[in-house]
Amino acid sequence: MNFNLLSTEIATALFGSVLLILSLVTGKDARRGLGHATLAGLLVLLLITFTQYGINSGGFSGTWILDDYAVFMKQVFIIAAILVVFAGKSYVEDFTGNCNEFYVLMVFALLGMMGMASAGDLITLYVSLETMTISFYILVAYNLTSGKSAEAGLKYLILGALSSAVILYGMSLVYGAAGTTLFAKMPPVSVASPVLLLGAVMLVAGFGFKIAAVPFHMWSPDIYEGAPTPVTAFLAVASKAAGFAAMLRVFLGGTPVAPDNWLGIIAVLAAITMIIGNLVAIPQTGIKRMLAYSSIAQAGYILVGLMAADPAGVNGVLFYSMIYAVANVGAFAVVIAVERATGSDEIAVFGGLWQRQPLLASVMTVCLLSLAGIPPMAGFVGKFLLFSAIMDQGIYWPAFIGFVMSMISVYYYLRVALVIWRDEPKDPAPIAVESGMRLAVMAALAVTVVLGVYPAVLSDLSLAAAKSFFGM
Amino acid sequence: MLKEYFGVLLFAGVAAIIPLAVFAVSYLLSTKKDTPEKGLAYECGMDTRGETWVQFKSGYFLYALIFVVFDVETVFLYPWAVKFGQLGLFAFVEMLIFIAILLIGYWYAWKEQVFRWK
Amino acid sequence: MTIGLEHYLAVGAMLFCIGLYGVLTKRNAVAVLMGIELMLNSVNINLVAFNRFVAPADFVGQLFAVFVIVVAAAEVAVGLALVISIYRLRDSIHVDDLNLLKW
Repeated sequence: MNFNLLSTEIATALFGSVLLILSLVTGKDARRGLGHATLAGLLVLLLITFTQYGINSGGFSGTWILDDYAVFMKQVFIIAAILVVFAGKSYVEDFTGNCNEFYVLMVFALLGMMGMASAGDLITLYVSLETMTISFYILVAYNLTSGKSAEAGLKYLILGALSSAVILYGMSLVYGAAGTTLFAKMPPVSVASPVLLLGAVMLVAGFGFKIAAVPFHMWSPDIYEGAPTPVTAFLAVASKAAGFAAMLRVFLGGTPVAPDNWLGIIAVLAAITMIIGNLVAIPQTGIKRMLAYSSIAQAGYILVGLMAADPAGVNGVLFYSMIYAVANVGAFAVVIAVERATGSDEIAVFGGLWQRQPLLASVMTVCLLSLAGIPPMAGFVGKFLLFSAIMDQGIYWPAFIGFVMSMISVYYYLRVALVIWRDEPKDPAPIAVESGMRLAVMAALAVTVVLGVYPAVLSDLSLAAAKSFFGM
Repeated sequence: MLKEYFGVLLFAGVAAIIPLAVFAVSYLLSTKKDTPEKGLAYECGMDTRGETWVQFKSGYFLYALIFVVFDVETVFLYPWAVKFGQLGLFAFVEMLIFIAILLIGYWYAWKEQVFRWK
Repeated sequence: MTIGLEHYLAVGAMLFCIGLYGVLTKRNAVAVLMGIELMLNSVNINLVAFNRFVAPADFVGQLFAVFVIVVAAAEVAVGLALVISIYRLRDSIHVDDLNLLKW
């Protein structure tokens, strides 16, 4: 047994436990210190992942796969976690009562995501998925004194557990039809039986829920609105990326269903997700709800890359996940800062933000432009990679829908930008930005702009990771 | 195959008839006098007090939750214990780590005063 | 007549549907959680039956069922804790009363 394959996960589990013990022995007045400890630990984890590139092997009877693809995905999760902790520290500290578990739960959710990216069989995948989801149930309901947060937590729990049960039933059927839980030993395409097909359809439905693809998206606007904003950011970014990481493992690593069949399912999902997500985002008046629908639409774009099912498509998925993570957390960081200052998450309170805090205003604008896919921001390159992968196969209509819907999305993204730059502020008092938040938004800004101009820095890495996924 | 179950069916039929017969006999032979005493719930001969529907303290609930979680973890201990002889030192260390993680959880519950009666 | 794989799968499917029905129709949050438990247990029946009839060589199916049991316990523990905290805030555990957030 080669424990080096597990080194990131062992370090994460240890780190989570140590953090829990620290929070027990330090008492409730030492919250600030814990936030810093969390940041330091996450940075160490990020460094560890860099040593794992190029290992490309599996272990533990095939239940664990560590290829560059898994490492890249883990970095997406860790970077999202670091940005969220930087941006959310003060927000969390504003909560009444105990905040120590917040960091602990975030680390354990991270552990679950890492397992999802590396899972080589259904059991590992399921346990990792639940590690992540159960941590998120508690995180979403973290602000227990607020009725909204507790309600969002219960709703997420009921719907999440329901989707887990559907995934699980699908897994049991896949296991029954294939006689194994290992993705690598799933039977070849030609012998796919109806049972396997039914199992795979249930898996698509369950994972569709986790990544909030239409028509399984109904939960996400409610949960995003009710959850504490840092949790919303982490949920929208990392949990969605983890869902995609697992989906790729199941459907491209094992191909339990004939490509023609499942291409159809994924294509329909991608198309209606892009259309509904973007159209419903337009009339929203709350920024968190608007970003919720926008992230539904983003899931639709990423599904197009999944549909391509080749290294170019996976490359698009990986690149876009990273870009989306940074830009979305950047946008949510600004929402956190404004929400702390004004106590509201309506789009209207962003009026005249550039007079109150130019840094936040520019970060918000850049991140939204990146999400809309306007050059020279990084989001444009990501969308280009996703859509060109499918167009190279001679299939044009998903790219066409994606293009039209991106144009529509510009409308609601720019509406926020317009409010920020054109409207007069109701309350001209400047908004204070503390150091952690400043660091988070600056990082998001820098990454989004730099990768938009020099995408090769990241796309070389993601292309290598995508090739490793197919064993090239 | 189904024929073999016929005996069971017969047995179930007889088993159902006997209590019904006993009830019928006692109904036919007994005298019938209604007194309010007879309508009362029987609680070891004492007079009943208060409502039938009582609320349990939610203090019980936390114990129950902690119990359920730790109780279910023993599912992992059984297969381990059965095969302990063949598994060797590595599995022993693994189980120690598993229990250590559970103990951290237990410690957390303790610190959060789950076990204190409020 | 012998009891075969189909019978177990039929029981599993029925349990799954009963659980789903409970989740979708019950108004009491605790009853909804019970429905979810039923769905997870139907999966356990499936897994163990498949293990016995399809791949009896290894015990992967039974192992999977053990993990499902543990995860289900954790899920329900969190769920009940959330229900209690909602009850303390609202004095109600009816799913219909959870209406601060609009769909």
